Amino acid sequence: MTEMPTASSHARETVYIVDDDESIREGLSNFLEALGITSKCFATAEGFSAHWSEEMAGCLLLDARLPGIGGVDFQERLQKSGARIPIIFMTAHGDIPMVRKVMKAGAVEFLTKPFQKEELLHAVEQAFASDRARRKDEAILNSIRMRIDSLTPREREVMALVTAGLLNKQIAGELNLSEITVKMHRRQVMEKMRADSLADLVKMCERVKLGSKSIGSSK
Amino acid sequence: MTVAVSDRLSRLVMEHGLKPLAIAVCFVLVALIWTFPLQHVISYPFVFLFFGAIMGSAWFGGAVAGFMAVILSSGVIGYFFIPPFFSISIAKESRSFFAAFILCAIAITLVSSARKRAENAIRHARDELDAKVQERTAELVRSNLEIQESERQLRQLTEAIPQQIWRADAAGRIEHCNHHLRDYTGKTMDEMRGELFFQILHPEDARLYLQGWHAALATGNRFEEEARVRGADGTYRWFLVRSIPQRSEDGQIARWYGIHIDIEEQHRAQQNLILAQEDLSRLSRTMSMAEMAASIAHELNQPLTAVVTHAYACREWLQGEPANLEKASATAEKIVQESTRASVVVGRVRALFRKEAHVRELTSINRLIQEMARLMRDEAIRRDVSIRLELANDLPQLKMDPVQIQQVILNLVMNGMDAMMPLPRPREIIIRTEKYGGGILVAVEDQGLGITPETIERIFDPFFTTKPQGTGMGLAICRSILEAHDGKIWAGNSERGGATLQFTLPAES
Repeated sequence: MTEMPTASSHARETVYIVDDDESIREGLSNFLEALGITSKCFATAEGFSAHWSEEMAGCLLLDARLPGIGGVDFQERLQKSGARIPIIFMTAHGDIPMVRKVMKAGAVEFLTKPFQKEELLHAVEQAFASDRARRKDEAILNSIRMRIDSLTPREREVMALVTAGLLNKQIAGELNLSEITVKMHRRQVMEKMRADSLADLVKMCERVKLGSKSIGSSK
Repeated sequence: MTVAVSDRLSRLVMEHGLKPLAIAVCFVLVALIWTFPLQHVISYPFVFLFFGAIMGSAWFGGAVAGFMAVILSSGVIGYFFIPPFFSISIAKESRSFFAAFILCAIAITLVSSARKRAENAIRHARDELDAKVQERTAELVRSNLEIQESERQLRQLTEAIPQQIWRADAAGRIEHCNHHLRDYTGKTMDEMRGELFFQILHPEDARLYLQGWHAALATGNRFEEEARVRGADGTYRWFLVRSIPQRSEDGQIARWYGIHIDIEEQHRAQQNLILAQEDLSRLSRTMSMAEMAASIAHELNQPLTAVVTHAYACREWLQGEPANLEKASATAEKIVQESTRASVVVGRVRALFRKEAHVRELTSINRLIQEMARLMRDEAIRRDVSIRLELANDLPQLKMDPVQIQQVILNLVMNGMDAMMPLPRPREIIIRTEKYGGGILVAVEDQGLGITPETIERIFDPFFTTKPQGTGMGLAICRSILEAHDGKIWAGNSERGGATLQFTLPAES
């Protein structure tokens, strides 16, 4: 596989703290600051929503019980909108059904206040790692999409038939072209898509298809 | 109308004119007929028969007839028997004689008619008396019959009413029980007469029943008590016994009437209701306690979390190379602030509990205990525990919150019942009151296994419990109530082996 550029590598990883209690926010940001981790505080989920953009890197440290939209509902809402930022939940009194629900929905960790230093650190690291992987994934997907966009309509037709497993002769018959023309288009596709082999090309197309399904056409 | 008037007039004329006139004429004629032959034998004017005629007329015809007879007689005598004969004129020498005759005749008339009137009056009075006596006798006979009838109806009624009824004399001795009561108890009248009656009551209810009954007898107030009564088959049912006194006209109680109303069903329903309510209140009590605990925990947890997080941060600032003392000191300041916030929460919770103790009423502790024992009777029966009261008589009334103190006693009694639950019968709880300095001591003694020394040390601690479903708050609340009353509570074991919980309420400071 060729090297891919890591998109939005300039964005600094930040812990977004959402808690209605100011002293908790202060304590957390102070602690994270002491560890050299950037943090940003919000009193409500709505406050965070207003600030959110796809380029933001890091994780969300979310109180499960918030005034307005509760933490659990907010997680659901974020996922529906396609925002895949990792979430660490925290609460003073978590009940088991709630923990099960948020973990199933993909939360990184569920912390019970007051938490151990290591617990919090571990959760933040895990979340950052998962966010990095996510962003890398998205970056690759984006570059593949851009490459597909650079193809001509004829080239896209040829690529679709090639990845479907048809031989050049069959493609020529299908598209009413000479075999030579098909070969030329095929070379163009492989070049533009920066694919080393047919397997590579198939993999990229599969990725785009899956990515389109899971991300949808958000933003 | 004129017919009626003329009719009355003619009757008047008949009564006061014609009838006396006829009588007078008859008598005078008879006298005249007898006097003529006699006048031939006697030389002086013989007028005595006329006196007789006048007397007769006055007697039978009244004063009017008498006077008519006088006039007629005078005329006849003047004409026939006083010279000059056969002439109305009277010789000078005979005038005095004639006048004497007239006066005598008038006198006779008056006397005779007066006598007649008196006699008439007497007869009339006698007749009236007679009639009255007859009337009264008839009335008496009638009312006698009526009384008999109503008595019979009453007896039928008392037998027909599907209720158990009894009658007692003024001293409260049972005189009569109707057949429903006799049928229910399966006893004869002789087996229930007088004091024997109380043997049909359940022994546990008899004491309270008799207390109430004697109080009613002493005061003359109506009596009402619930008690179990033994049926013919040996089982007991709950009855409401009501009795009211019947007073004689002078206000003295003549007898008592009592009725037994079967309330077994209601009682059972009520029991179930009480049980349900108890469960409910126990549930809601623990629910609200759990909720309160959760909210207090949350309130405290927030600043504590902040303290812990700041403390971690503080350590990180200090462990850095180089240590960031400025940040560390600012963080330490935050720790102080958050700790203070936590202690404010604690203070607020304490204030919340202190708020309730404000009511203070002058209360008789014995009355409070009696009232409570009555309230607890059903629960005690359900648990097969009897509650005995040993109350001192000379206790002062003290200012207290009666509801809270009752809650304390209730809690102690319930604890005692719980302690005796696994033990065989008979189970008894004694509530004792006595003087304690200027104040009062109340002791609740059970016959359970007593309290171990380790438990005694912690028994009043919040959340300390030996019961699987206990909250561990009961005795802790008792202690805080008594402390609010400047009283004390302590636990120990009695010489009989059970636990004794005692508390004191001091006289007002």
